[in-house]
Order: sequence, then structure tokens, then C-alpha cells
Amino acid sequence: MSDTTTDRIAAGSSGTSPVGVRRKPAPRGRRKKNLFAWVLLAPTIVGMGIFTIVPIIGSLLLAFFRWDIISRPEFVGLANFADIALDPTVRVSFLNTIVFVVVAVTLQLSIALVLASMIQERMPDWLRVFFRSTFFFPLVLSAASVSIFMGYLFNEQFGVVNWLIGLVGMAPVPWLTTPAGAAAVVIIVYVWQNFGFSFLLFVGGLGNIPKDVYEAAELDGASGIKKFMNVTMPLLSPTTLVASVMAVITALQVFDQPYVLTRGGPGDSTRSAVMVVFESAFEQLEFGRASAIGLVLMLLIMAVTYVQFQLSRRFVFYQ
Amino acid sequence: MKQLIGGSTARTLTRRSALTLGGLGLAGVTIGAWPRLTGSDIPGRKAEGLTIAILGNSADAEGRRGLAEEFHREFPEIDVHIQAIQGADWKDFFAKILTMVAAGSPPDIVYVATEGAQLFAEKLAEPLDDYIRRDADELREYFDDVHPSLVEAFMYQGSLFQLPIDWNAADMYLNTSTLHEAGLDRPADDWTQDDFTEMLRAMKKSQGAGFTPFYWTNRLFGGIVPWLYNNDTSFLTERKAPGGDWLWDGFYPDDPARSTRGGGFIWDGSNALDERVFESFDYMRELVDEGLGVRPEGGGGNSLVGLFSSGRVGATPAGGYWAQGLHEAGMGSDDFDVQFFPRNRTQRHQFGTAGYAIMRTAQNKDAAWEWLKFSARRESMEMAMPAPTTTPTRRSMVNASFYAETGPNNWQVFYETLDRFPSSGPIPAPPEQAAVENALIKNVTNAVSGSSRQTRAALQNLDRDLNLVLGSSR
Repeated sequence: MSDTTTDRIAAGSSGTSPVGVRRKPAPRGRRKKNLFAWVLLAPTIVGMGIFTIVPIIGSLLLAFFRWDIISRPEFVGLANFADIALDPTVRVSFLNTIVFVVVAVTLQLSIALVLASMIQERMPDWLRVFFRSTFFFPLVLSAASVSIFMGYLFNEQFGVVNWLIGLVGMAPVPWLTTPAGAAAVVIIVYVWQNFGFSFLLFVGGLGNIPKDVYEAAELDGASGIKKFMNVTMPLLSPTTLVASVMAVITALQVFDQPYVLTRGGPGDSTRSAVMVVFESAFEQLEFGRASAIGLVLMLLIMAVTYVQFQLSRRFVFYQ
Repeated sequence: MKQLIGGSTARTLTRRSALTLGGLGLAGVTIGAWPRLTGSDIPGRKAEGLTIAILGNSADAEGRRGLAEEFHREFPEIDVHIQAIQGADWKDFFAKILTMVAAGSPPDIVYVATEGAQLFAEKLAEPLDDYIRRDADELREYFDDVHPSLVEAFMYQGSLFQLPIDWNAADMYLNTSTLHEAGLDRPADDWTQDDFTEMLRAMKKSQGAGFTPFYWTNRLFGGIVPWLYNNDTSFLTERKAPGGDWLWDGFYPDDPARSTRGGGFIWDGSNALDERVFESFDYMRELVDEGLGVRPEGGGGNSLVGLFSSGRVGATPAGGYWAQGLHEAGMGSDDFDVQFFPRNRTQRHQFGTAGYAIMRTAQNKDAAWEWLKFSARRESMEMAMPAPTTTPTRRSMVNASFYAETGPNNWQVFYETLDRFPSSGPIPAPPEQAAVENALIKNVTNAVSGSSRQTRAALQNLDRDLNLVLGSSR
């Protein structure tokens, strides 16, 4: 027990000071300011409560019910969890998602970092603005529209990609109709559309690295790759952490690209965890099962994020 | 606010405050007077009138406005609101209808295709039996004009849930220029699967790179299923429910296939390991392997009209709905033609049909029934289908004048599919259609790629997936 608490008890009231003098109420102006702040925050708090907190709680509860929208929900305990544990499609979809996250996030961050480093080099401002806008542009497009368009480009018989491949004498590639080809296309399309966000984070991070650190490194004889590995990477590590956490969370929820491009096929080769949530809910009318899968996915995301933050203690360097 | 004598405070109205208040008041009045959306504007929330959901976009809804206005003229007490819901396919559309049900704003009537007929019959739709019995005299002319196979597709456990309005069979479209360049004429009505293969080989030989003799898509309609049907099998077990005699005896007493009619189809088990299923898949695998057919992708084949009309595809299965599309793509009536699906063990065809279903939750079911009857009249169907964007279920409407502008020359094939091959069956779509379709399409591509061994492995997976879907729901 702290001294302050002891003193308060001795004074007979937790609301009074040790010497028995009533604590001064907050100045009227501050109270008004606080009230005003709460008023401004209220729409966000109410919105989050209704549209985020309540659905999360509802979804958690639904995981223990069997519900097809039309009939009354029926309590089934842990049956939905047992069901998904035995379902090979669910297992494959989670495995696909994990492989996807590893490959796509690695590519996304690598491409974003390389391009961000390149545009930090000397170039006219208008060209820098052009590159920044160009790389960010895919992110503002609808993922569904992009995927439809890419589906045409990668069509085995009539796609532009195979036409270009044909120009150099290669045989057409069955992009969307073989497991490896379909997975490659989904990753390509996803990375193309999402690297822009990581790119912008890296551009900001690189801009914050003081020039004198580079100058000192140069005086010590560092150049090129050494400077990048020993100066840029450590000083950029806080940005890398943020970019990787956000990229992993987003990639774990991949849906649009595989749904539109391949519908999860061929077989289950590109089926993602969120696709199985959607299919369970809106195609099989198993909303409880869908919630159970969603809950497992949420736990996976939380676990991965926790691990990332734990690892950051070793690898992230704060100035 | 100003400090007054005696230390008390009071509010005085400054000019700025007055202007602010005036501005706020004006804004309030403007907002209050502005026409805005309210809860009653959400489709399905209005107590009065009928909300009718169709698959399509706002242009499709606009296209049916004339029909709705005509209905309202005849039934002024019933307001009709056509609500177009966009979706990549019927499965998407049904998922959206279900979200409307979950949101508490279901439509009163939904235009449902075969893919969703049993899902709706099982969970959402109202049987029409009592209404049909009551208005039998009025409906006799409709049933006289509509093939019983189409009606049977909407029977479920002995009751009828929809009146079919449009339909399409999976017949074979042929690019006539490609056919002639290969030195071939339109095949005979009873052509075989071997004839079909030879035709594809000849087409391939006569065309250069970038040409695909046979294009097919991976979906329930027009995908692998027609090849299963013509091999006298299917990937699901198929039988008929008892019942339905009231309908067949009442409206189709002279139907030559009367003895085979029942209370609707039952598809409740996997048949994926049937040897004939393997034969059909293996045939398609050989076509892909030989470069005669594409490895099928999912989707509705949206780009297919362009590919077919530009001569890059020689043949593809499709229904009467394609005539208008090819015409709009610039093909003349002599540039393409249609023939029955080739024969294997049988020449059983696959078809799909669609019609309005009354939701169990509809407030005014009698009004909804009036809409169903109205829509099934010939003049209403003519208004709804002014061009061959689909095939009307009324035989009398499938005539030379309907196809005069578009072709094909052998348009008779469309309706004769049902007459010549009365065993033709609907798209196999049990109430678990979405999951069944997923199970099928996810295994088709693997089954027709690689070796025969891979085909067998894919069919094992299909069998496992179907058993999971059909077993868990029963």
C-alpha cells in the first residue's frame, strides 16, 4: 500500500487530502473542455460500439450456435469448432493463407523498400511525385475490378500475358487453371495492388533518417550495400515493423483476389480462410460455423501480431 | 457572454450569435424539407405493395418497368417495386437475397432460376398448389403452352413453387464459317460424341494458332454436366419424389412422359465414383490434352461472345439466350447455328429455367399470386422478352418471327430439345446448391488436367466433398 493511500485512509476519506483539505474541483473551463471532447468523441464511440464491438460480441456468441438465418439459432456448444477441425477444406484454406502471407508480405515489403529507396535518389521532384502517385494508384482501385481485369490478362487462351510470352517463342502458361499458376497470379495481383501502402510508409521512414548519419558512415568508409544494411535498415526498423504488422494483418484477410480470379481453385489451391468464412455463411448458410472460423482467424491474427511485437524488441532500433 | 454588476452572468444576444442561430435555423429547415431516405424506403420495409427482386442491374429493372406499369393499371391497388440485385451468378444473387432476409427486409417475390429452386422451396418460398387449383381454368392455357419438363423442374416434394417464365437448354452453338473452313456442314441431329471430336479435330487443323475448337466454362450449367447427362449419369444420385399427380393429371393428362413425372427431383447423394462419371471426365480430359478444348475456368463466360463472334472459338454449349448476344456482337444469322448436344449413351440434355417465387414472408400473398399469373400471360412474356436474350417457356412464342432478326436459322432446336429428348433434366441443384456447385467446380479443373490417374483422384475428392455437404445437412 502506498504512503498516499495510507494517508488517505488516515484522513478518513479517499476524496480528501492528508491534511483534510478538500481537493479543488477541476476548473470550470477544463470541465467544459472535457465535456466538449466527449461530445466530439461520442459519434465515433457510438459508431464503434454499434458497428464494431457489438458485431464482434455477436460473432463470438454465434460461434456456439447453429443458425441458417431463416430458422431459430440452436445452441450447439463447441460442435462448430469440432466440425471445422475435421474439415479438410478449412485446414487447407488456413495453410494456403499462411503460405500466401509469407510469400506475399515478403514480396510486398521487399518491392516497396527497393522502390522507396530508389526514389530517394537524386531525381527531379516532378518525377518523384509521379512515381509516388503511380505506385500508390493501384491501392485506390477496387480489388474486385482489378481482379476481373487481371483475369482477362492471364487467360490461358486469349490473355495478353500469354500473347507476350508467345512472342518470345514460349508455350502458353495455364495461369488460372493449375494450382501453381493460380497461386502465382493471386499473389502477383495482390502484391501489385497492395505494395503502394508499404511503399509510402517506407518513403516517410527514409525521409526521417538524418543525413548526418549517412555522412558519418561515409567518413568511416561505408558505401552502397554496407550503408543500406548498417544505417538504413536499422534506422528504418520502426517503419518496417509498422509496415510488416499492417501487411500481415491485411494479407491474413485476403479474399477479393482469390474469390474473383479463381474462386479458390483449382481444387482448394487458392482458397483462403476468409473465403471459407464467406462460403460457410452465405453459400452453406452455416453462420455459426462461419463465426467459429472467423474466431479462429482472429486468434491467429492476434497471435501473429503479438509475435511480431515480441520480435521487434530484438530487431527494432529506436533512435 | 458579459460580466454584469454583482458578479452574476447573463446571456445577451450579440449580432454574431444572432447570425449563427439564424444560419443554424435555416440549415435545419433546409434539411427538414429536403427529400431524403427513410426506413420505409428500404425495399421490403413498406407494408403495402410488392417488392420483386430480380438478378440484374438498374437497366434490367428499367426493362421491366413497362410490365410493372401494365400490372398496376390492371391492379391499381397493388404497387409494384422492381428491385434489381447485381451478382456474378445466381449463387451470388441468392446470397444477397439471404442477407436481405437476415436484415429483416426480404422481398415479396424473387425471380429464381433452377439453381435456387429447391433452396427456396425448402426454406423460403410458398407452395402454389392451392392457388393453382383455385385458378385452374385461368391457368389451363398457360400449361397447354409450356412443356411439362420445365414445370417439373419447379416441383419440390409434390408441390409446385414457381411458374416457369424463361428457360435455356445446353445445345451446341457452332461457328459456321469455322465449320465450312474445316470442310464440314452442320452435323445431323443424332450426331455422336465421336462425330463431335472429329469435328473439333477438323476445325483445329484448318485454323491457325490462337483458335480454340471447343470452349466451355466450369459451372453447373453448360460445364461438365451435359457430358454426364449424355452418358446417362450425373455427379449426384437422381430420383423423383412421389406426388404431383394433382398437377400432371389436371394439366398434362396426355403427356407422353406422364409415367415418369413425379413430385420433383431429389438429388441427395454423391454419384461421383460412378464409372460413367469417370468416362465423361476422362473424355473431357482427352479433349483438353489434345488441345481441342480449353481447361475450363470458373465464371459465366462473359468474354465468350466476343471470342465466338471473332471466330476464335468453334463450338460451345449455350442456350437460346445467346442469339441476341451474338447478333449484337455483329454476327449475321448465317454466321452461327445451333444443333442438339451430341449423343453418347443417350442424348439427354441439360436445361435451366426460371420463374417468380412468392416468399413465405410476403405480407400480401394474394397480390403476389396475381403478379405471378400476370407475368405468365403471353402478352406479359412478350413484353418482358422482346428479343431472344433468353428462351420463353411458352412454345407459341418460340417461332420464326422471334428469331427473324438474330438467327440462328435452326432456332427450332431450342424447343425441340424438350420434345425430342423428354428425359432431358434440369440443372442438378438440391437445396445445398451453392455448396454442391462449389464442390463440383473446385474439382473439375483438376479432373480434366493431367493423367487419368489424376482424374480418378479428383473424383475421389469430389465424392468426399459432396458427402460432406450432403451428409452434414441431412
